[in-house]
Amino acid sequence: MILFESILDGIRDIRDNFGRTLLQLTGIILGAGSIVATFSLSVAGKAQSMKFYAISGGIQKIWINDKPTGKVTLDAKALASRGLTWTDVVALRRDAKHIDLVSPVCNETLTIRYRDIEKPRTVMGITPAYAPMNDFHADKGRFITDNDVATAARVVVLGSERATEFFSTDNPLGKTVIIGGAGYQVVGVMEEKFFSFDNNEHNALRWMNRQIYIPITTYMTRKGEPLERGKVSWMHARMRDTKNWKDAVGELESILKREHGVKDFEVYSRVANLKRNEANNKMYDVLFMVCGLISLIVGGIVVMNIQLASFNERVREVGTRKAVGASPMQIFSQFLSNSILVSIFGGVIGIFVGKFFCDGISLLTRNAAQMTPDVIIKALIFAAGTGLLFGMYPAIRASRLHPIEALRTE
Amino acid sequence: MSAILKYEADPARALIQLEAVTKTYDSGENAVQALRGVDLAIERGEFAAVIGPSGSGKSTMMHILGCLDTPSSGRYWLDGEDVAEMSSRQLARIRNQKIGFVFQTFNLLPRATVLKNVELPLLYAGTGGGDRRERAMEALERVGLANRAKHRPNELSGGQRQRVAIARALVNNPSLILADEPTGNLDQKTGHEIIGIFENLINQEETIVIVTHDPSIAARTGRRIKIVDGQIVDGDTID
Repeated sequence: MILFESILDGIRDIRDNFGRTLLQLTGIILGAGSIVATFSLSVAGKAQSMKFYAISGGIQKIWINDKPTGKVTLDAKALASRGLTWTDVVALRRDAKHIDLVSPVCNETLTIRYRDIEKPRTVMGITPAYAPMNDFHADKGRFITDNDVATAARVVVLGSERATEFFSTDNPLGKTVIIGGAGYQVVGVMEEKFFSFDNNEHNALRWMNRQIYIPITTYMTRKGEPLERGKVSWMHARMRDTKNWKDAVGELESILKREHGVKDFEVYSRVANLKRNEANNKMYDVLFMVCGLISLIVGGIVVMNIQLASFNERVREVGTRKAVGASPMQIFSQFLSNSILVSIFGGVIGIFVGKFFCDGISLLTRNAAQMTPDVIIKALIFAAGTGLLFGMYPAIRASRLHPIEALRTE
Repeated sequence: MSAILKYEADPARALIQLEAVTKTYDSGENAVQALRGVDLAIERGEFAAVIGPSGSGKSTMMHILGCLDTPSSGRYWLDGEDVAEMSSRQLARIRNQKIGFVFQTFNLLPRATVLKNVELPLLYAGTGGGDRRERAMEALERVGLANRAKHRPNELSGGQRQRVAIARALVNNPSLILADEPTGNLDQKTGHEIIGIFENLINQEETIVIVTHDPSIAARTGRRIKIVDGQIVDGDTID
């Protein structure tokens, strides 16, 4: 009952002293605003990263690259190591229990010719595992198959941009292109990949549309290498369960080390990266939070000061209320609910200010911003908390006023 | 003393009973003794005026009668309850349930409507909204201001404001109405109108104690209690 009346009182207060209230609330408005803005930006950033990971093969993906040790004193086996080879692929497929897919890639720049168009372009030798590994599939025709790999077939699959480059609007399927002097039949064109971090201006996955794929066996045969000894430029592996990411990475490293006799490779896991990012993000979040909290505290002090300044003009009123029977507790809760209400009002304005910041920043940096209910609730709770904390002292003072002294005040 | 003893003869009827009440204000080194042993009984339905020169302790006694302050020593029974040593929370309840105040300066909440001002004691009593409104309207009718319920205090004349304050004092059916110089800020004519309202209330069996400087107003009450130098003395002239 009294609470309801206090809220009505508070609303009347805000309405009657609108300018002063706004001034009083500047700190809280900016504090809540900065909390909303920073959280919205960081939440949106995280969501974008996760989307990017999902569209480019998920967080189960592991990269394996050559990384020569550069050390001079190596034993015989280590000296003999040629880095990543087909043998590693076989070993991983056979022994790695936490890995369900291995996709080796070789690449080289070769001259591609179709009719009168001739250009140097990167060609990748891959296995069928490449498609599920990268969640990248043929749009027209088909992708490289096991049969292509087994027979070292002279077939090629083009990225969408390459298909347009060489064939313009013609259908490339069934046509023959000359790659490094030999004829390859086009059996497929890949789907177009698109992902943007900046409101569709720049395609972060454009490089995928510029690939040219041939079977890895065809690639190695062309170089005159026996498959077992065939050099692999890099590999992707996919872990079965991201929960065991440490085991998966450890197992993979120990198998490769066994094969090479030395750690002349590096393993990079998206999960590990994500964990690291999460730790970083958490730090940023805490940092933003602290900044927001500092402005809220400053805001709270301003609220308290103005409450105390306007306190004197309310002393008589408190005296009157006490004379007609308001208990100290009732006066306390009236004052406190008033400052909480005023602070929440500031928080609400702050949310709009934060939204404004957010839109501005996202317009300037071309980063997406995302305001979640979660963020709004957080901002309101912090604003209300500020009101509670800094309304406490004036409320206690008001509740302890002696009725006669309060009534005597002019 | 005989006048006072007359009222002590029937303690069952006494609404107010003070026994050897003193009040000392500690203002640094020199303590001021505002009341020096006051014995007083006031019965239900009485209309009494507290008179006396400035600084005699009238206001202090009024504050103690109104439970706005507690005596330094002595006893005070109000409506059968010993209020001399109550906590501030208990005193607030007594003020709310048993006492209605009327002040010289009206003390209305300037931003609230007349109706809200009159509802105030009921708000702190925890009375529900509809009931509160109804009872506040009734109280306003008793002082003849029901038509001004939606106005703000600054839209009313001094006399009207004081009538709002009287309605506020009445609204929770208190045992006692205390008025501290209720006509002090009003012209002679309006002041007497206000006393007229009090007389009506006495006819409706309310108990009223007023503090006044004005002999013509004191003369209209049923009993004059004269205080000089912190003590009740015989006589009913204002020195």
